[in-house]
Amino acid sequence: MVAGNEQAPPRSATSFVGVVRHLHITPRAFLPMRSMADLTLIAGKGIEGDRYQIGREEGFYSHKPEEGRQITLFELETLEALERDFGIEFSPRDHRRNVTVEGVPLNHLVSRQFWLGETLLEATRLSFPCRHIEEVTGKPVFDPLVHRSGLNCRILIGGTVRVGDLVRNT
Amino acid sequence: MTPRRPITTIRTVITSISPSGHNVKLFALADPEGWDLPPYKPGGHIDLHLPDGPVRTYSLCNDPAEQDRYLVAVKRDAAGRGGSILLHDQIRVGQEIGVSLPRGGVDLSDPTISHRFVAGGIGVTPFLSAVAALQRAGRSDFMLHLVARGTPPLADLITPLVEAGQAVLHDTRTRPRPDLAALVGPPRDDIAVACCGPPGMIEDFEKATATWAPERLHIEYFLPPALPDSPEARPYTLVLARTGTEIAVPAGATILDTLQANGIDVPSSCGGGVCGACHVDWLAGNPIHRDRVLTPAQRERTLMACVAASADERLTLDL
Repeated sequence: MVAGNEQAPPRSATSFVGVVRHLHITPRAFLPMRSMADLTLIAGKGIEGDRYQIGREEGFYSHKPEEGRQITLFELETLEALERDFGIEFSPRDHRRNVTVEGVPLNHLVSRQFWLGETLLEATRLSFPCRHIEEVTGKPVFDPLVHRSGLNCRILIGGTVRVGDLVRNT
Repeated sequence: MTPRRPITTIRTVITSISPSGHNVKLFALADPEGWDLPPYKPGGHIDLHLPDGPVRTYSLCNDPAEQDRYLVAVKRDAAGRGGSILLHDQIRVGQEIGVSLPRGGVDLSDPTISHRFVAGGIGVTPFLSAVAALQRAGRSDFMLHLVARGTPPLADLITPLVEAGQAVLHDTRTRPRPDLAALVGPPRDDIAVACCGPPGMIEDFEKATATWAPERLHIEYFLPPALPDSPEARPYTLVLARTGTEIAVPAGATILDTLQANGIDVPSSCGGGVCGACHVDWLAGNPIHRDRVLTPAQRERTLMACVAASADERLTLDL
């Protein structure tokens, strides 16, 4: 077990192979997310240049420090559901998480470790929807995103993550 | 370092200050590292959080397609509340200023609706970004009427519009102020009219457009309109849902003042229900809305704390 993981891994099996479709960061609260071809993940710290990188602390929620919020993920399938079920066009840039993945059941991964390209992540908790996203985007997504607002993770092994990388079980 | 309080403003730096006519300066603001800024609608505005506390609202006057800077025009008003004097006399290039997310704006989305803009003096600023957006979209179905005494503010931006037949200057130094009813004409479904100017002009515009459909009207206020006295105002209790805290609001006091007096930080600017800064979501009760910015649908969930009140003895806020 990697140091720092104090919880026993869940026993139920989950099986998937997904893909990284979009990568985004922003250096400060409120600013639009910028699409990136690759991101540099630093173990125990966060994403180079992102607002929630530990030590940078320029995010909207940085006054509530959280060691397990080094990188955040979001399902491409949720964007499709917002359009299909609520008629809300929401882009990978809008949800303000760092990584948009396809084919990864994020809600199954809490307390699990998994590979994001060459980096190893540990999911700490589900992300919560927040009014801040509604304020920034002007779109009524709070209610539709309850229970599917993405995943917060800590970075156990850093490295470079690129669009197109595989997301796999450990 | 971990901030002790939530970050409530966008960090910007002043990248240029340039004079643009008598007593008017253009201030350009950008992200310290040149990152894109949050987008805004044509005719939108931002609050500038000035050093030592004052918060002032200014229309954005550059093309909304410029994603990496905000441009505001500020007229030095010696008789004003002090914000414009501070900006003109003390703010320097390179200085950091916090700004709010952009708000407001005029709806230009329907290509079958043409636009008439009526501005008084420096009130032309919101329409400059609207005109830029229309021109970028290849549209020329608009007319800007600018009423000013002598040389208009921002003349270098206005003159090309006049030369192109898209703007008319009404110089009140040589002619009486134009009849606004004649400028806007009778109500039409395919025309939207908008006005920004001093209070007297707004009053005339409201009279001239009294029979227009609300969705074809847009008014930007320099100063918040005075609220009517409410002798029947009663005290009530605010309930803050997230903590269960109860706060007594004295008769006639505002929700905003009461919250701030109790150490609860709510961003605010105009204090008169027109700028939209102090929006707070409410959860239970019966709020009295007296703002000029929220739509009926928005009022189902949100109130403007600077002017709203409560018709019931208790009002629960999402704070």
